[in-house]
Amino acid sequence: MILQLKNIFKWVNSGGNRVFLLNDIDFTVNEGEFISIMGPSGSGKTTLLNVIGMLDGFNEGEYTFLDESVHDLKEKHRARLYKEYIGFVFQAYHLIDELTVYENIETPLLYKKHSSSERKAMVADMLDRFNIVGKKDLFPSQLSGGQQQLVGIARALVSSPKLILADEPTGNLNSAQGEEIMQLFKKLNDEGVTIIQVTHSEKNAAYGSRTIHLKDGLIVNN
Amino acid sequence: MIKNYFKIALRNLFKNKGYTLINVGGLSLGMAIVLLIGLWVHDELTFNKNHDNYDNISQVMMWRTRNGKKAIRYAMPYPLGDELREKYGEDFKHVVMSSFHGDNILSFKDKNLSLRSSFMESGALSMFSLDMIYGNWDGLNNPNSIVLSETVSKAFFGTENPLGKTMKVNNELNVLITGVYRDIADNATLKGLDFIVPWELYSMLYPWVKAAKDNNLWGNNSYQLYVQIADGSTMASVNGRIKDVIYNNVSEYGRKSQPELVLHPMKNWHLRSNWKNGVNAGGFIQYVWLFGTIGLFVLLLACINFMNLSTAQSEKRAKEVGIRKTVGSSKYQLINQFLSESFLVVLVAFTVAIIMVFIVIPWFNQLADKQIVFPFKSVTFWVVSIAFVLFTSILAGSYPALYLSSFRPVKVLKGTFKTGKSTTSFRKALVVVQFTVSVILVIGTIVVEKQVDYSKNRPIGYNMNSLIMIEKTTNNFDNKYNVIRNELINSGAVVEMAESSSPLTDVWSTNSGFEWKGKSPDFITNIATVCTSHDYGKTVGWNLIEGRDFSRTFATDSTAFILNETAVKYMGLKDPVGKTIRWNNEEHQVIGVVKDILAVSPFEPVLQTVYMINYPNTNWIELKLNPERSITSSLSAVETILSKHVPNVPFDYQFVDNTFAEKFEAVERIRKLSTIFAIFAIFISCLGLFGLASFIAEQRTKEIGIRKVVGASVFNLWKLLSKDFVKLAVLAIIVATPLAYYGVTKWLNNYTYQTEVSWWIFLIAGIGAIGITLLTVSFQAIKAAVTNPIKSLRTE
Repeated sequence: MILQLKNIFKWVNSGGNRVFLLNDIDFTVNEGEFISIMGPSGSGKTTLLNVIGMLDGFNEGEYTFLDESVHDLKEKHRARLYKEYIGFVFQAYHLIDELTVYENIETPLLYKKHSSSERKAMVADMLDRFNIVGKKDLFPSQLSGGQQQLVGIARALVSSPKLILADEPTGNLNSAQGEEIMQLFKKLNDEGVTIIQVTHSEKNAAYGSRTIHLKDGLIVNN
Repeated sequence: MIKNYFKIALRNLFKNKGYTLINVGGLSLGMAIVLLIGLWVHDELTFNKNHDNYDNISQVMMWRTRNGKKAIRYAMPYPLGDELREKYGEDFKHVVMSSFHGDNILSFKDKNLSLRSSFMESGALSMFSLDMIYGNWDGLNNPNSIVLSETVSKAFFGTENPLGKTMKVNNELNVLITGVYRDIADNATLKGLDFIVPWELYSMLYPWVKAAKDNNLWGNNSYQLYVQIADGSTMASVNGRIKDVIYNNVSEYGRKSQPELVLHPMKNWHLRSNWKNGVNAGGFIQYVWLFGTIGLFVLLLACINFMNLSTAQSEKRAKEVGIRKTVGSSKYQLINQFLSESFLVVLVAFTVAIIMVFIVIPWFNQLADKQIVFPFKSVTFWVVSIAFVLFTSILAGSYPALYLSSFRPVKVLKGTFKTGKSTTSFRKALVVVQFTVSVILVIGTIVVEKQVDYSKNRPIGYNMNSLIMIEKTTNNFDNKYNVIRNELINSGAVVEMAESSSPLTDVWSTNSGFEWKGKSPDFITNIATVCTSHDYGKTVGWNLIEGRDFSRTFATDSTAFILNETAVKYMGLKDPVGKTIRWNNEEHQVIGVVKDILAVSPFEPVLQTVYMINYPNTNWIELKLNPERSITSSLSAVETILSKHVPNVPFDYQFVDNTFAEKFEAVERIRKLSTIFAIFAIFISCLGLFGLASFIAEQRTKEIGIRKVVGASVFNLWKLLSKDFVKLAVLAIIVATPLAYYGVTKWLNNYTYQTEVSWWIFLIAGIGAIGITLLTVSFQAIKAAVTNPIKSLRTE
């Protein structure tokens, strides 16, 4: 078991009413799973993903990540946890525009105090694995969307996280590029990486081993 | 890691060239100004520090109290030196009597030069720790010796060692060269002292000095006295012991003015030379403070721009912050990143600033009358510079760093991130600070300008056109007045000639002991006395308002007085012409009253003055050149005639109007400097305003687009966008006005004759500030207003 959510509530107060973003979420993820979260717009998919990724907090409930009680942890420790074990992939890729492909992939390693030669080897490995060695000196704006997302995934993977959180990773891509990315996720999952993705498409969800449907912050089937 | 930071910083700088230019440009301009001011302040604060005994040297001065008013005097009586040496010997390492520095003629073979010089007691060389190239500090021990500055030695002897050669002083005395000292530093009171001759020669050359010496005259104050206090003594304790020395030695009459000695330490000579009501009242130090403060403010303005522009770009950087946080950066690492970015910018700006300073330093030296050399080789300079760069990086970079690094990734990565109102109001507050400083500087500059004009427009009481003055440096001139005068007038070069004891632009002596009918017995008089020839009034063109001028037809005029208007008021005389004044046991009849002649300071009241005929007691020749001839030909005719009658005396003349104009040099310099600083401050503030305006226009793109779609005109939008900034300018004017009023009033109090601080000054500064604001902002406002709304709305 990688993580477990128990009775998680998250709400905002709007005009005297309490609006629930997450409503009593119970949810366990085991190592090696590939989970898809689905649901209509505003159902709380991204919020759930952010809570799992510890980028966002919650109001009530218990969250255990690798035997640590996240709800009891201070902000600083939480940050340490997600930096260590979680890689993020975004719909809008979120690469740093001023850095080259190589430098973008290298960035997480800089914050983990790897030596320069280690970093070189690890980035080279990623470039190799994703077949983008020839693009390493290009800037994000010089790449197609699919290529940018490849770099985004390479960056998420470079520090060997236990869990990849992907928020509509193919949302900005055409179907062929989307297909390619999903194949890649599948392959990674086969290699043992745990993945949670948020998606609108049944087709993409089908790559996963399990699908969760959300509606108005509630899990409607599991 | 650092490499990564710098890389991204550089790429950002190149990507946003406009911002970078404003940022680096403004910052380097600010830093260049701070550097210049820093060098200037350093130069001022190290004034006289070239003397090793800086901390222990002091000039002896004297307070005198007349009619309840205390005034400081630099002139000391002849016997004071010996008295201090004999009775207070253990308090002093050196006691050095000295003449006031003036021009004397130095000759070797056929060469005669009129040079700035002084008669000093032998301890002077070691007390002032002069850097001897030839000879040593015993150089003045022999009464018939002379020590020269390096420049003078080179002028006479080239690179030759001149020791042992004999020269002539004032065409009278032979002296043996016993030493050559390196020229005294430019930022020293003794700057430009060309030679020093022993004190003993003073009384040999001048009968009035000999009289003071032989008769032990405590009542004649005509000399300077420098002392170096003994090691281990303090100025205060020595001062306490000697303060009554004069009082104890002068006559009953002299005691009336309660003479009290006071030590004026060398460290105060340059910066604290004003005295008021019995205490040292500062002086030039106020400008050191003033410009130092301005420097800090200019730096602050530039830093505010930096903060403003960095936070204005925050939306662009927000995404990067979010990404970095999700891939593992801590807040601390981001702070580091942004601080190193600001360090990089500051370092680039500093390099540019150094280059700017290097280029403008000759021009600045001319403006500030300095000889500042760029201190490339000074370790201290570079250490201070590094500290300065670090300080500026932290000052400018800490707010953006803290602000940017605090972004939460969930928010900024959603893409809906907008900077809040609070940061905009912080930025607006910064702009108000900038404008306040600029407005204060503008008001200050206008007031300085007005004060200069005001004092320049004071009536001077005589006609300085084509008027020249020549100092009679030797007694070769004695008894030749009529011969020279006739010949000069006959030559047609000169319309009229006169002689006087004081130059037209100064008063060299004041006297007491005047008595007249109706004077209160308690009233202690002190009146400027100017001895002249009969032709003085005609030559200088003074304005008689009552009575008549001196005339050769009345033999009694040899004891007559002509008063100036102030003297009439000072004495309280009604119908002064014909009244009798007693002075030095003689009766003097007032024959005329002239309009005040502005001789000493254009910022102070004219001294009460008595003019009298006394040929032997004159030191200056005044010549009214023929206005119908060219000045060059007149001057050469004068030179020919003078060299015939007083050979071996260099023809050294000054135009009275030039010498008078020198009185404004200091305040003119302040005017120029403050004008320049004000211009730069405004410029830097405008850069900041421009940046902020462009940012706000960008931030409101969507709003502007919608307004346009629903029918707003360009003018409506311009008004909408400019209104906010005009509000800021108005706020700044409101803050600046009382501060500026306080400041300029305080400055004007330095002068007795002060211009009015009129309301229109504030009006002009205010209108100017608003005008400049509109000008700067309009560009951005109109640009935003004319953009096609389809374009701006698509950005959402």
